[in-house]
Amino acid sequence: MRWLTLAAVLILVGSLAVTGGAQQKLKAGFIYVGPIGDYGWTHAHDQGRKIAEKMVSGLETLYVESVPEAQAEPFIDKLIQQGARVIFTTSFGFMDGTLAAAKRYPNQIFAHASGFKRAPNMATYMADFYQVYYLNGLMAGALTKSNKVGYVGAFPIPEVKRHIGAFALGVRAVNPRATVHVRWIFEWFKPSAAKEATEALIAEGVDVFAFTEDSPTVVQVAAKRGLPSFSHYSPMQKFAPNHVVSGQLVHWEKIYVDFLSKVVAGKYTTENLQNVDYWWLLAEGAVEVGGDFGVPVSPAWKSKLQAVQVTTLDLGRLSVHDLVMKRLAQMTDPKVTFDPFTGPIRDRKGKLVVPAGKRMTVGELNTMEWAAPGIVGPWPKEP
Amino acid sequence: MRRLGPWQIDRDPAPRGWWVLVVSLGAIASAFLAAGALFWAFGIGPARAYSTIFLGTLGDARAAPEVLRQAIPLLLCGVGLVMAFRAQFWNIGAEGQLLAGAVAAAGVALFAPLPAPLVVPAMFAAGFAAGALWGLLPTLLRLKLDVNEVLSTLMMNYIALFFVEWLIHGPWKGQEQRGFAYTDTLPPAAWLPLLPGTRVHWVTLALGLALAGGLAFLLARTKLGFEIRVLGQNPTASRYAGINPLRTTLVAMLISAGAAGLAGVGEVAGIHHRLLAPDQISLGYGYAAIIVAWLARGSPLAAVLTALFLGLIFSSGDVMKVTLQMPFRVTDIFNGLILFFLIGSERLLTYRLRRVPRPAPHATAVSPGPERQTGAGIPEETGVAESK
Amino acid sequence: MITEWILDTLIRALAVGTPLLWAALGEIYAERSGVINLGVEGMMILGAFFAFAVAHTSGNPALGLLVAGVVGGASALLHAFLSVTLRANQYVSGLALAMFGLGLAGVLGRGWEGIPLLNTLPEISGLTYLGVVLAVVLWFVLYHTRLGLVIRSTGEAPAAADALGVNVARVRYLAVVFGGILAGIAGGFFSVAYRPSWTEGMTGGTGWIAIAIVIFAGWDPLRAVWGALLFGALYYLSFRLQTWIAPEALRMLPFAFTIVALAATSRRRRGEGAPEALGLPYASGEK
Repeated sequence: MRWLTLAAVLILVGSLAVTGGAQQKLKAGFIYVGPIGDYGWTHAHDQGRKIAEKMVSGLETLYVESVPEAQAEPFIDKLIQQGARVIFTTSFGFMDGTLAAAKRYPNQIFAHASGFKRAPNMATYMADFYQVYYLNGLMAGALTKSNKVGYVGAFPIPEVKRHIGAFALGVRAVNPRATVHVRWIFEWFKPSAAKEATEALIAEGVDVFAFTEDSPTVVQVAAKRGLPSFSHYSPMQKFAPNHVVSGQLVHWEKIYVDFLSKVVAGKYTTENLQNVDYWWLLAEGAVEVGGDFGVPVSPAWKSKLQAVQVTTLDLGRLSVHDLVMKRLAQMTDPKVTFDPFTGPIRDRKGKLVVPAGKRMTVGELNTMEWAAPGIVGPWPKEP
Repeated sequence: MRRLGPWQIDRDPAPRGWWVLVVSLGAIASAFLAAGALFWAFGIGPARAYSTIFLGTLGDARAAPEVLRQAIPLLLCGVGLVMAFRAQFWNIGAEGQLLAGAVAAAGVALFAPLPAPLVVPAMFAAGFAAGALWGLLPTLLRLKLDVNEVLSTLMMNYIALFFVEWLIHGPWKGQEQRGFAYTDTLPPAAWLPLLPGTRVHWVTLALGLALAGGLAFLLARTKLGFEIRVLGQNPTASRYAGINPLRTTLVAMLISAGAAGLAGVGEVAGIHHRLLAPDQISLGYGYAAIIVAWLARGSPLAAVLTALFLGLIFSSGDVMKVTLQMPFRVTDIFNGLILFFLIGSERLLTYRLRRVPRPAPHATAVSPGPERQTGAGIPEETGVAESK
Repeated sequence: MITEWILDTLIRALAVGTPLLWAALGEIYAERSGVINLGVEGMMILGAFFAFAVAHTSGNPALGLLVAGVVGGASALLHAFLSVTLRANQYVSGLALAMFGLGLAGVLGRGWEGIPLLNTLPEISGLTYLGVVLAVVLWFVLYHTRLGLVIRSTGEAPAAADALGVNVARVRYLAVVFGGILAGIAGGFFSVAYRPSWTEGMTGGTGWIAIAIVIFAGWDPLRAVWGALLFGALYYLSFRLQTWIAPEALRMLPFAFTIVALAATSRRRRGEGAPEALGLPYASGEK
């Protein structure tokens, strides 16, 4: 029996030593809704995770991909067993599961992307594109010859409606006669659907494209017809170097690094997250305009955008290229001296939705259902 | 008929339970060995991989109930399919029947003005009815027009899938979900109680077990069960025995499809509490249940074991993803390998190893046993798919 | 206006229909020989990955398609071994192949996403026309040659074929592998022509639709052309007509159609329905 006791003691000491060592490190677990190989939403979160691991000293990360919605809780259990102290869940559908887990694990910290429910140990975060879509819209309005701009949308939810809305406001700001034609594919990732939706828009005479889908499909289809497009989420310029004008890029690592550094520093605890809601935009550097990092406007399209002149109320007469750069500077400025959703704005039915001088709040943006003027196509749940 | 020392291998028309178990476990062990190479390729020692998988599933108080939870829909669909297969009805449509049950459950919970205690029973009743209804069309087409049911039930799966999509994007889309494609959350009266500390909705589990027991009894002891057995074994003989094949197949199939509908009710009322995208309601349970039923080899009680086994396989995949940090597709390779080995071993079941008295030494060329003519090819037609 | 609509729809139907047709033609031959292979999706995604990897490395998309065909055929060999030699349950074996293929392609494809392909094949390319020609040839072979008779007989009455000296196992092996080759090429079409790049799960369930088309076409290669075109056209129209019709309704249509077609053709049995011995293993005289 003595050797057994000895063994037990050894195991006990050994495990203590292991946990002692582990306390130096902060483990964070990431739960993804899609596959990392989607080259879109999940791919971008995973890039953010990898960068955060390098930038936050002592951080170690775990991830799970393609997690079904009902499975969030069991996976959270497993990540916590692996020693994760911070859990990021990266899909709206994980909201209730994350909240339930947050109640069961009061000593762990949770953060949920794109949702609206919080708890003392559960924050929310989102890097949003609407400002970037506005800038893309300015360019699209200048480039369309048929005055028909196309948008392939994933789901008719407020997030995508907001993006199409901002895009359409941009288009109309430089080209009041242009319309934005929308097709929904009811999937976040479905290349074949994105492709045929793009083809349907081309058949209707659309000649510039923006989209929400997690693959470079729309860019490729448009390029094959020689039509310009705006890349989405990941750097897709390389898929059509001569046809991608600009696009939207995300830097989830900005949020992850900030959040995790504050956890390490003890600023974020399991008791003070009730009101922590990251809503990070251009000014925070969480999003970027461009089809590739550091290239806001593709050199292939710069001169075309410089050739189109517009008159604005606040900046006078200038080229669209300069307008884009000015607006970008205004929104990147920490004081944010310009925002696309500033009144007066009427919806496409003519109803005043944002009164003059007012800016839409985060809450209003998150529940936005109306369609901006110029949008053509089905718009489920239109008020 | 080959001899190996004192042993003789020959054909066995009706494999016994222990032999089935031995061969199946052997196949699973071989699959694990083969999958070991996969773990190796990811720099994980196979021994460590398997101990981690074991500890992360059965050896863990929070994870073990998850095995059970995943087994619930597999059990209900699987038991139902056993029933259909016994009646020679190749129902591939459990997935669609499950979705039909889920739709009915959500519909009752959201729109039927019922007093709270009646909500759950009404959901189960509606779910069973909806599942059965979804299975009714292929059954009638088969019985009246001789339309191949494998194909029609498969088609019905797609129709159910797009129907659910349409409901959640259109008429049933919820007010409170920020425009995401869900119905509203069901009222709490429609939520199934959970076993404390787990996410096991025990009502559905109990239904599944009761159904397995009930159907085992039905098959073994009742007139209807007798009719189903005769119909399954020999359709021609059944006609002479005065069995109405229409009625018998219809009843077997309605039970089968209804059981899948119950699984759908369980997923909606026990897990999701709303109707959502079809691939989220069911993680392919209806298709996996084909494997459950096939492994159970016609026995409703064995389906309890095989459903648990598949639940375990599902959960093992989860452990690989989280604890071993492997890409999620690894689980598909793993599951595929296990299936390959399991069905590959099926052939072994039709042989048996017998000890026979050793004849004169070095006389292996002349076999003493009654040499059976190998030509007929009849004795081995025992697998489910082979006797149609 | 109307002609434009028809022309647009026809072109898109051809493009979407190409991989559907190739995969369906292969599956028709496999099923005609009596072996159902539900693993089409798995063979296609393997074809898609290998076609992309080879096309990207060698710069030659046609070589990619060739390799995709070889890979598809090799994976079908696994199904043939299980279902013909071991006489295992074909439905389960096919499901296992679908899983295995999706898994293997997903794991091998790690890190290949987000890479553009410089040399691609045009979308409506040789593959489209070749597919139609192939359908005609396969139809002719199936109904008007001895080889076709042999294939059909192994699927309808293997015992009778066996008695006439046909090597049932060999015919089934060849038919299943042939089906795999076509499925692999169909998958390759996605990654080098339809949408030149690699993304996890990019075939998106096309393999299952191809199986539906086989049924829709009543196991007739020529009718598979119409089936593929119809499915392709409705897929495209579900986006084109979105303003007026719910997309789910349009996409549900072909499946409902298939059931109606099954019901309508079932009465005239002869050569219209499923092969009699479909899904049933055959134990020939020896072994």
